[in-house]
Amino acid sequence: MTLRNVLYAAFCLVCLLALTWPGYPMFGNRIDPRVLGLPFSLFWNVLWILLSFAAIGAYHATRPRR
Amino acid sequence: MPSTTVVLAISVGYLVACLALGMWPSKKSSASSEGFVAGDRGLGLLLMYFITGATIFSAFAFLGAPGWAYSKGAAGFYILGYGALGLVPFYFIGPRASRVGREYGFVTQAQMMSVRFDMPAIAGMMAIVSIVAFVPYLALQMQGAGYVVETMTNGDVPAWSGALVVYVVVTAYVLKSGVLGVGWTNTFQGIFMMALAWGLGLYLPHELYGGIDELFARIAAERPDHLLAPGKTSAGQPWSWSEYSSAVIISIVGFSMWPHLFMKSFTAKSEETIRRTVLLYPTFQIFLVPLFIIGFCGVFFEPPPARADQILPHILMNTQIPSVIVGLFCAGALAASMSSGDAMAHAAASIAVRDGVVEAAKKKLEPNAERRWIRIVVVLVMIAAYGVAIVYKGSLVFLLLTTYGAVVQFAPGVLACLYLPRVRGRSVLAGMIAGSAVTGVFVAFPEWRPFAIHAGAYGLVVNVVVLALVNLGATARDEARRFVEIAARE
Repeated sequence: MTLRNVLYAAFCLVCLLALTWPGYPMFGNRIDPRVLGLPFSLFWNVLWILLSFAAIGAYHATRPRR
Repeated sequence: MPSTTVVLAISVGYLVACLALGMWPSKKSSASSEGFVAGDRGLGLLLMYFITGATIFSAFAFLGAPGWAYSKGAAGFYILGYGALGLVPFYFIGPRASRVGREYGFVTQAQMMSVRFDMPAIAGMMAIVSIVAFVPYLALQMQGAGYVVETMTNGDVPAWSGALVVYVVVTAYVLKSGVLGVGWTNTFQGIFMMALAWGLGLYLPHELYGGIDELFARIAAERPDHLLAPGKTSAGQPWSWSEYSSAVIISIVGFSMWPHLFMKSFTAKSEETIRRTVLLYPTFQIFLVPLFIIGFCGVFFEPPPARADQILPHILMNTQIPSVIVGLFCAGALAASMSSGDAMAHAAASIAVRDGVVEAAKKKLEPNAERRWIRIVVVLVMIAAYGVAIVYKGSLVFLLLTTYGAVVQFAPGVLACLYLPRVRGRSVLAGMIAGSAVTGVFVAFPEWRPFAIHAGAYGLVVNVVVLALVNLGATARDEARRFVEIAARE
């Protein structure tokens, strides 16, 4: 496993834990602060979609080329 | 009340536009089944992006997602949750499938499995599961379309005739242009849906509450529970974190296994196209947010709708808004229904003929005959689904959940197919059957589950254990080793 793979796998794990139990109830599942009017519980999911987008983007951009 | 004439004019105009767009590309693909099913493996990023995105966003997104937010609160956020990683497995398995597809000439998922495991029974089983899953899924799309047309025209156009007209159009362009017809219409429909969802998602809260901020401030003040996960079940009971979390995980595992999505790895022009499609997919996922907002708008809406999934059309019909907007919404909901329905009918027919007849029953067909048969089966699948949509009075969602449980069980076999040369066909088949059976039992009798986690999770565990046990001591055949080497070749 290259460092790049390890980092991306770690991100996926963190992302999964953030979106399910226990990360979501611990950190994301609240109404305030509201972001752009959205309750934080909804924003939390949007945030992780954006982070996941950034992570796979970085993973893709750094792929080894032959 | 919006004017029926305006709504109908916009919807019919939209159908004509789809028909024109869907009929037009047929000149470009070859007459073979490879052209009809896999677009001669030549689809670029634009088509791949919309074909996956618009296929996933079905009538459920337009009617079901607002309905969930309205009735079950934050339970629906799990759809966003699994979407964050849902297509990620495809980043890895898609290019592998694409390589073996090119080498061996595969156009479907089951065909790939059948060759790798040298076992036509696998293709047969997967073909049966896929088709049994697609018919209720397609029927749901038809019901959604018919229902929207009926509501939006104040009942002037009954659901059965609305669904009929819409799906005659879909059948026409699928027959004429195969996967390219699906691709071009889905591009148009995808853009249309996204624009409409965002438009309505911003407009309705403004119109009804003075803005998104005011909407959520009011829900937070009066119904704070409604904004907190894990929300409620369909029965109105509190949902548990174990079920919410396992639903997210099972959905991520099963997502890439849907045959109509998986087989798109054989349509992509290059591996790079597949990877970029996965990369861009979250931009499509975000489009659920305005649909949830619309559902939340319904929380204080008087009078409440008869059924939760009617909330969006219900608000539109009972608010003073221009008929043009209602008409556009109607077309948008049709877009959501059609852009999933077309891919399902196309995939179901390709699988029935390719895997059921050619692979499993070992019937040789000339390329032109195969294409002709796929077309005939498209029509049969449409008629079957239409019959189910009109006649069947039970819960289609339940039927769909049961079959989706079996689709998830493809996952261990597909991974073994592309990564593990030592795994033999009988192990995969045994695992798949055991896993599907366990899932099926727990979907039907949820109270039998030892713990409150998703039925598919039990099935997956049993599947993997059975696969590993049956496979004990097996060695890799040379052909299997070669197959996996081709899959891994960068």
